[in-house]
Amino acid sequence: MPAAKSKSTQAAKTPTDPVTAILRQHAEEQFATELAALMEVDDRQRPPNWQLSPWAVATYLMGGTVGDTEILPKYVGQRRLMEVAIATLATDRALLLYGIPGTGKSWVSEHLAAAISGDSTLLIQGTAGTSEEAIRYGWNYAELLAKGPSRQAIVASPLMNAMAAGKIARVEELTRMPADVQDTLITVLSEKTLPIAELGEEVQAVKGFNLIATANNRDKGVNELSSALKRRFNTVILPVPAHVDEEVQIVQKRVESLGRALELPAEAPALTEIRRIVTIFRELRSGVTEDGKTKVKSPSGTLSTAEAISVVSSGLALAAHFGDGSLSAEDLAAGVYGAVVKDPVQDAVVWKEYLETVVKARDGWRDLYRACRELG
Amino acid sequence: MSVTVFGIRHHGPGSARSLVRSLQALRPDIVLVEGPPDADTAIPFATHPEMTPPVALLVYAPDQLQQAAFYPFAQFSPEWQALRYGLEQGVPVRFIDLPQTHRLALKAKDEELGTQEREEEEAIAAEEDPEKGQDDGEPLRRSLPADPLRWLATAAGYSDSERWWEHLVEQRQDSTALFEAILEAMTALREDLETTHPPDLENAFDRLEAQREAYMRRMIRQAEKEGFAAIAVVCGAWHAPALSEPLPAQKHDAALLKGLPKLKVKATWIPWTYGRLANTSGYGAGIPSPGWYEHLWRSSDSNQSGSETAIRWMTRVARLLREEDLDASSASVIEAVRLAETLSALRDSTAPSLMEFNEAAQTIFCFGDATPMQLIHQKLIISDRLGQVPPETPLVPLQQDLQQLQKRLRLKPEANEKQLTLDLRKPLDLERSHLLHRLALLTIPWGTPQSTSGKGTFKEAWELRWYPELSLSVIEAGHWGNTILSAATASVRAQASAATTLATLTGLLDQVLLAALTEVVTPLIQQLQAIAAVASDVAHLMAALPALANVVRYRDVRQTDSAAVAQVVDGLVTRICIGLPGACASLDDDAATLMLEAINQTHSAIRLLQQESHLQSWSATLQSLADRTSMHGLIAGRSCRLLLDAGTFSPTEAARRLGLALSLATEPTQAAAWVEGFLQGSGLLLIHDGAIWDVLDNWVTQLSAETFTALLPLLRRTFANFTAPERRQMGERVRLGQQGQAPENRDFDRDRADNALPLIAQLLGLSTPTVTR
Repeated sequence: MPAAKSKSTQAAKTPTDPVTAILRQHAEEQFATELAALMEVDDRQRPPNWQLSPWAVATYLMGGTVGDTEILPKYVGQRRLMEVAIATLATDRALLLYGIPGTGKSWVSEHLAAAISGDSTLLIQGTAGTSEEAIRYGWNYAELLAKGPSRQAIVASPLMNAMAAGKIARVEELTRMPADVQDTLITVLSEKTLPIAELGEEVQAVKGFNLIATANNRDKGVNELSSALKRRFNTVILPVPAHVDEEVQIVQKRVESLGRALELPAEAPALTEIRRIVTIFRELRSGVTEDGKTKVKSPSGTLSTAEAISVVSSGLALAAHFGDGSLSAEDLAAGVYGAVVKDPVQDAVVWKEYLETVVKARDGWRDLYRACRELG
Repeated sequence: MSVTVFGIRHHGPGSARSLVRSLQALRPDIVLVEGPPDADTAIPFATHPEMTPPVALLVYAPDQLQQAAFYPFAQFSPEWQALRYGLEQGVPVRFIDLPQTHRLALKAKDEELGTQEREEEEAIAAEEDPEKGQDDGEPLRRSLPADPLRWLATAAGYSDSERWWEHLVEQRQDSTALFEAILEAMTALREDLETTHPPDLENAFDRLEAQREAYMRRMIRQAEKEGFAAIAVVCGAWHAPALSEPLPAQKHDAALLKGLPKLKVKATWIPWTYGRLANTSGYGAGIPSPGWYEHLWRSSDSNQSGSETAIRWMTRVARLLREEDLDASSASVIEAVRLAETLSALRDSTAPSLMEFNEAAQTIFCFGDATPMQLIHQKLIISDRLGQVPPETPLVPLQQDLQQLQKRLRLKPEANEKQLTLDLRKPLDLERSHLLHRLALLTIPWGTPQSTSGKGTFKEAWELRWYPELSLSVIEAGHWGNTILSAATASVRAQASAATTLATLTGLLDQVLLAALTEVVTPLIQQLQAIAAVASDVAHLMAALPALANVVRYRDVRQTDSAAVAQVVDGLVTRICIGLPGACASLDDDAATLMLEAINQTHSAIRLLQQESHLQSWSATLQSLADRTSMHGLIAGRSCRLLLDAGTFSPTEAARRLGLALSLATEPTQAAAWVEGFLQGSGLLLIHDGAIWDVLDNWVTQLSAETFTALLPLLRRTFANFTAPERRQMGERVRLGQQGQAPENRDFDRDRADNALPLIAQLLGLSTPTVTR
């Protein structure tokens, strides 16, 4: 779960001129020293066109010490997941990072590309409006009209560039693209070639080319990933934080920095309140109470860490502007209800049951129970 | 004359393979195996053609059936291979461990002293294999660090000793000098350990260990004395150094073994399962993946190369997934094998282990999802294989227990059908009923329950018939336990853990209560609660409630945790109250009839519980049902009626609602359903209960003549459901009008009535008949 917190802390550390400072640097620039240190000691076998060996890539992601350089952990979680991801890229199968929002998929994808190819910029952003041209190639129409179809008139996509250079291409939010556009990738993944029908030519992928896609399985309004495409990917699901303390820490740090950015006059939220919110989210998400004794139903929403962060910060805003400045159960209740109850019928039942069977009986949660009961 | 010690790992396929090769090279003239000498007579069964592992040697005390020890064997257990080698080569095979006749006696004594606080099962597991150096986690040797092998593993750069042993020993292809190396490593380890943690003979565990090793040495010396020239000793790796030359002075061992207590024991073979060989089952020397080990064993048996083993495993995974209708193409198998091999290279190991295969399968076959992996774990990695023993194996304790019970309860197994009616108020019949129900839970269907004629719950009818196959079922059930009681309990536990629906669980709970298995009631109830929490079907919840309410109210709950039952019931009631209005939305006629029945049952269950908070929330739920305009008439009418009965609605209010429901704006079918729900099954009540009569009466008399004619068909539809005599009585009451309300004021002979009073008083248990004139 490094994405949120590392982005902000790392950016804040870079000492650059405040006026022209880049808001966010690419991974390979930001961690250039770490990559250089790894490259120096890395004497293991590298797959063709890889900047580092798989072992060094794993170290870059999980952290460690190389010589006198400390490698910061980029991903906090199970090492084996990262090993599977790296091994997948080494077998020339494409990698699909899958999971609910806010689990660090894009962050991992960027760092994998930076460590393997030294270039994380070959990026296609998937949206509902992404067209086939964005994946294959477009045309420079002035050139096309003046000289007819030729290689000069072609505007290469990041994917085409990656194939020609033997680098890693990234596709963000694969499932946001319409299904027919997604399918453009099938030939590229199975034949490793991109035909240019207009010229009767093709771009064949150089060794070292591969594709990392991220997709999200819980958001509404995404397209189904076609099974033909699914088969061509190795899928790694990034899980939500394994332990409650880890998640509490992520929420707390993020809320603090958000609070500073919005310049809220409220006090920093008490750890106990954050812990309660995180506990509620985790319990509903996993369907079991934290003590493992009682099962609960899960609502239809994702209840990601990112949503916990927004519940706490909106509670802070409520407390600051309308309350006494310190975060109370009433300030949180509205946010929790909104986050949990996404479907007014089904989720309301889930939430009521949870309130009556879990929250009501819990020691010291009386205030939260009352505040939630008043709302609905 | 030579003694060769083979230090093995229990149930390690690599150890077994290396052992077989080494035995073939050594050609010993006697094989000594770590195991109970009490079972020497059972050894020849190992090569019986009908003997199929996994099986277990069971050593038990016939006089105290709860005292028993199990020695499970799989095809790939080195000890099993050693037994078979000896039998096939025609050389003597002997068990050399400290006999169970002493160990069970020691244990029984310990239990009497109350020092043994551990559960029986755990103790058995520990008995079997406390020497397992390579298994961690078991807090057996309390004076030692949990896992001495971890030191070696850490030195070799592994995080986990299991993986280290796996790579070094179990997956090894070349077995030359393997056992010398193990012996050397263990010697060094034990020397080091004994300097830091010298064994303490006062400690029961250390003492037992010392005695066992002393006994094994004694048996080796005896074999030497008998003149065997090449002696092969197969024992757990941890013991290997203690059994190797130079052996300590004979006197030292004799002193250790002096004055051991004795207990009469018997030994037999019983079928075992891979599930109970797995370490998740609580078996001390358990292995994490019996199914995978069997795969390894088979592939080494047919001399497959490493990559063929990998391909075959991934293919089996794919076939399993296909059987479950999950896509798994051959192309995916290829990719999965490649990924597993790349992963193992990334981790610096020569061949992929189960961990890499699992990760590859999850990534490629399951699209990263962990759920199908559970299936693979259950069906392939653990595997549900059940062993088989030949019919001529000696009686298992469960059979003996059954025979004793049959004798005591005077129930003879007969091949002919026999009817049996039990009166549960008699202790003997009650015990018989318990036995038959317990056998039914063990799938030994000796008795078939019959429906009883006559009322009363104290009668129970059975049809008894003993088939020869039932004896086999008893042997098969032998792995559940040694007595019918403990076996039925264990079997229920297993069935419960496999149950996923509320209905199965409540059914099981019912059977358990009939069979009086008090021990499992609490865990069952806990599981019931867990499933009820996620059940989305309110009908299921409602179906589960009456049985539980009965338990809370009537059953003897001394043995069960009555608070736990009450908690489940609380949860059920809460969930029903929240979910019911949603579940009653848009029902068709059939569904509404079913729901009506469920509501009636829930209503009586909740009234049975007599708990204020439940009654309140239930009545609130019924009100919301009655208030909803879109509700099916049957249910709205019934809710109104139940609320009237409970006194929540006044008769006036009920009459108002009746009027609303039957007003012209309402669809006729809806109105008819409403009246039907309101009056359902209450013909007699209508005649004798003034309140409902008044409600109807009030409403009818207020109707104008035209409206009454319009509504008549609807009313007729409901009243047609009452029996003819009921209808006639109603008609008479209507004709009587207001006078009809006091029919008891009719003249009757007071003197004759007085004569009957003493008898009535006696029936009602009143001491003195008080008669007021």
